Amino acid sequence: MHFLEVRKTNVMVPSPRSIIRDTWKTMSSIKTGVILIILVVIFSAAGTVILQRPMTEPDDMARAYSPGMLRLLDATGLTDVYHARWFLALMTLVSFSIIAASLERFPNAWRYFARPHKSPDEGFRRVLPIQAHVPITDEEQGLGAAERAFHHMHLRSERIVRPDRFSLFAERNRISEMAVYIVHASLLLIFLGAIVDGLYGWRGFLMLTPGSASNQVEMKNGTNRALPFSIQCNGTGEETYTDGTPKRWWSKLAVVDNGREVSSKEIVVNDPLVYRGVRFYQASYGRTGKLDRLVLNAIPRNANGQAHEISLSPNQIVSLDADTKVQVAEFIPDFVVQDGHVYARSNDMVNPAVHLIVTSEQNNKVVNFWLPEIPGIAENAASPYILEPKDLKTGVFTGLEVSHEPGQWAVWAGVVLMAIGLTFVFYVVHVRYWVVPVQDARGNLALWVGGSANRNRDAFEQTFKRFVEQIEKELKPKFEEAADKPAAALPKTTTAGR
Amino acid sequence: MSRARAEQHPATGMTLVVMVGLSIAFLLFIAFLNVVKSGDIISEANLLYAALVFYAGAGALYLGFGVTGTESYIKFASLATWAGLIVNTAAVAHRWYEAGHPPFASLYEMLLSFVWTLAALTLVAEKRYGVKVIGTVTMPVAIVGVVLMQLLRSEVHPLVPALQSTWLHVHVTLAMLAYAACALSFALAMMFLIQDKLKTESFLVATSVFTVGIYAAILTRFEGMGGFNVIAWDPENKSEVFLAKNVRLFVTIPDLGWLMLLVFAAVAAPLTLYILARVRKNDAFLALANRAVFISILLQSLALVFLILRVRDGSYPSLDAEGLYPTALGTSPFILAGLVGGIFANLLYLLLLWRREDLERLLPDADALDRITYKTISIAFPLLTLMIAAGAYWANKAWGSYWNWDPKETWAAITWLVYAGYLHMRITRGWRGRRAAYFAILGFGVVMFTFFGVTYLLNGLHSYA
Repeated sequence: MHFLEVRKTNVMVPSPRSIIRDTWKTMSSIKTGVILIILVVIFSAAGTVILQRPMTEPDDMARAYSPGMLRLLDATGLTDVYHARWFLALMTLVSFSIIAASLERFPNAWRYFARPHKSPDEGFRRVLPIQAHVPITDEEQGLGAAERAFHHMHLRSERIVRPDRFSLFAERNRISEMAVYIVHASLLLIFLGAIVDGLYGWRGFLMLTPGSASNQVEMKNGTNRALPFSIQCNGTGEETYTDGTPKRWWSKLAVVDNGREVSSKEIVVNDPLVYRGVRFYQASYGRTGKLDRLVLNAIPRNANGQAHEISLSPNQIVSLDADTKVQVAEFIPDFVVQDGHVYARSNDMVNPAVHLIVTSEQNNKVVNFWLPEIPGIAENAASPYILEPKDLKTGVFTGLEVSHEPGQWAVWAGVVLMAIGLTFVFYVVHVRYWVVPVQDARGNLALWVGGSANRNRDAFEQTFKRFVEQIEKELKPKFEEAADKPAAALPKTTTAGR
Repeated sequence: MSRARAEQHPATGMTLVVMVGLSIAFLLFIAFLNVVKSGDIISEANLLYAALVFYAGAGALYLGFGVTGTESYIKFASLATWAGLIVNTAAVAHRWYEAGHPPFASLYEMLLSFVWTLAALTLVAEKRYGVKVIGTVTMPVAIVGVVLMQLLRSEVHPLVPALQSTWLHVHVTLAMLAYAACALSFALAMMFLIQDKLKTESFLVATSVFTVGIYAAILTRFEGMGGFNVIAWDPENKSEVFLAKNVRLFVTIPDLGWLMLLVFAAVAAPLTLYILARVRKNDAFLALANRAVFISILLQSLALVFLILRVRDGSYPSLDAEGLYPTALGTSPFILAGLVGGIFANLLYLLLLWRREDLERLLPDADALDRITYKTISIAFPLLTLMIAAGAYWANKAWGSYWNWDPKETWAAITWLVYAGYLHMRITRGWRGRRAAYFAILGFGVVMFTFFGVTYLLNGLHSYA
């Protein structure tokens, strides 16, 4: 009331209050909501068509757009739509619109909910769209019949006592009036979770080889983040289908906190390890291109020695006999020879070569042994042993996605709440019935029967019709019912025809 | 009444039936070739073949009902749909058993499930809501689905680690159910527009724009000197040929491009004639436009037949690599779907043009259709919500993030927003009738883009589906 008076005195000059009020009006209107939805749709669609920054390599961006265009896109934030300030502002506006629209309509709905309109006055009775009149002879008999009809429909009716009359009221699923607010609240809850994650959450990558441990997570922007504990990899592996496509990746991880192993788990894709809100996901698996183990067959050139198998790791010196030792000098996963030198072309296991050094202590002879034998560089013929490769294992790594999403619980709670809310919105109908004995102008007594449903009105009209018919049936004396039977059977034959 | 009308237009009515019969015979022939090739009797291909026969029969009967209004057709049509559904169920079960996971992992498997859902929903709509003609729309879609499956790779593909999750199945089941419900709401909205006395010419414009759009998209494959580009196929490895990661090798089928260009002109003709009729205010052009639709259907069928024949036999040169490469229909599922979709849309238009009065008599009244459209969307919307939620939950388990702004995700959210907009306008603004129907049609357009467009036009994490 006070609010309105203030407005009256300042009709011409827009006062701060009236500005606030107008803003509120605009924010809470459905029109604003729909315009905001359309804007969100347009800009999110733009983000799927325009190449986006962190995902697309700078080279690809430069190839796709002209420099001027790219500058423009970058300046407007269109190359990273979903993280642009204005997109965030738009989402904030959407949130405000939802809040304002809900608050604006809530009091009305709450009145419906908290103070059900149980006793309809004449004005209400005149305008209610779904209503019927049933002639009765006696007020009490009519109300009794209506009560039995309610009972028949599994509704509990109550007698409303007013100074001038009795009336009946029954309802079902009043909570449905609140459903849309549940949905809106759930959406806000999801937004809240996303905002919390946007502010306090982070994502990164951690690469571990078996036996190693680290607490340095590589973030998306290239910086490192130190965890207050470290993750140790106690083994990782891959299982493949017969056609070679990966079937399963696993990693045995242990959490080391303050020098103590506090937790361990074998993780697979879709089943992460969680420690203190930080999640470790199996994201990738691969070979490092570094030598892990080399198995060789060593055959001595002089006849009296025995051929035997040896196994070499990097940095390991193995004795072939009392005098001769062998060690790995270099492993090249993809080699190429140019101008008498061996170069590595890539880190992929495409064309591997091993450089071994065979030393004889007695005559201080050092032989560069190459597998495969590279002409001009390898001195394989000078070696006292012929070394045949039997098996070669390169190192493996496990790629872990690391993420911290403190807001995700709000998101999931929002999702559950939304599912509940939507169920109520679409499938739970608030229905109300009123029965009031009335007298028309000529003094004839009748039952005024009214009904309302907050959604799905056409189906309710049918139910209402049945309800009125039930009252009429209850009103009839018992002996008339027998005569009614053939007539009642008639609709059945029409339905059987389908 | 209906019989009298049928006698009034014996020629046109018969032409339609013959045309439908011919296209069904052609589709059956294609399927039959596959059965012969696979060899064994009880296989998924044969189950699908049986399903195809039943669905085709049902589709023909529904169409026959649409054309002549003979009520008894409906009984046989739904009987055939039931039979098709049972065989389809067997195919799904077979697939499930063989793959060891529910059939949602590839486009093929998703089509299998989609067709199943569509057939089931058709029966529900018919029995529960009495929308008898719905089969006229849904059955041809099911037929197209089954035919596409015959052409797509059907080997059981092992699941890469990220896909091995129950949540995937929950997610995709919900998606299929939601999309099928959206498809149904689209069909119902179209029927509403018929009952709402929207002018037949407006449907002409809609179908023509749709078909012109299809051929405009198809002509992006046009290569200088009348060639037509399709993706090369490696029959030994049963895979597409890649030049580099995600770069497919295209081969050029000579002269097919000219045909496509000709058909483009043919499908553009009705639209041009319609515009002429409006500009000159001369209804003679309108009659011509309707004839042009008929001619364009014949040419479109020709394009389909030639595409299939040229693709099936022969190897073709490529601009990017030396030598000749074979191709396969499975590499161009969207071109095929586009061609079949165009023919189908134009056939439906002819049905409307020739039998509008019968259709209006047979369809439920406008108010009822309006309400059922809303009801279908009120089923689709919660399903969409749950689908997105399940997908987010799965992504969170697989990649450590519930929302990545990946194109498929974003478009799913856009779909959700469009339907949310529909619901707000309907519930709070009281939008009924035409505006609501247009909104429902728009919603389904976005669904189709999310389902097909995003997969083929935009790259992202969802690349396998």
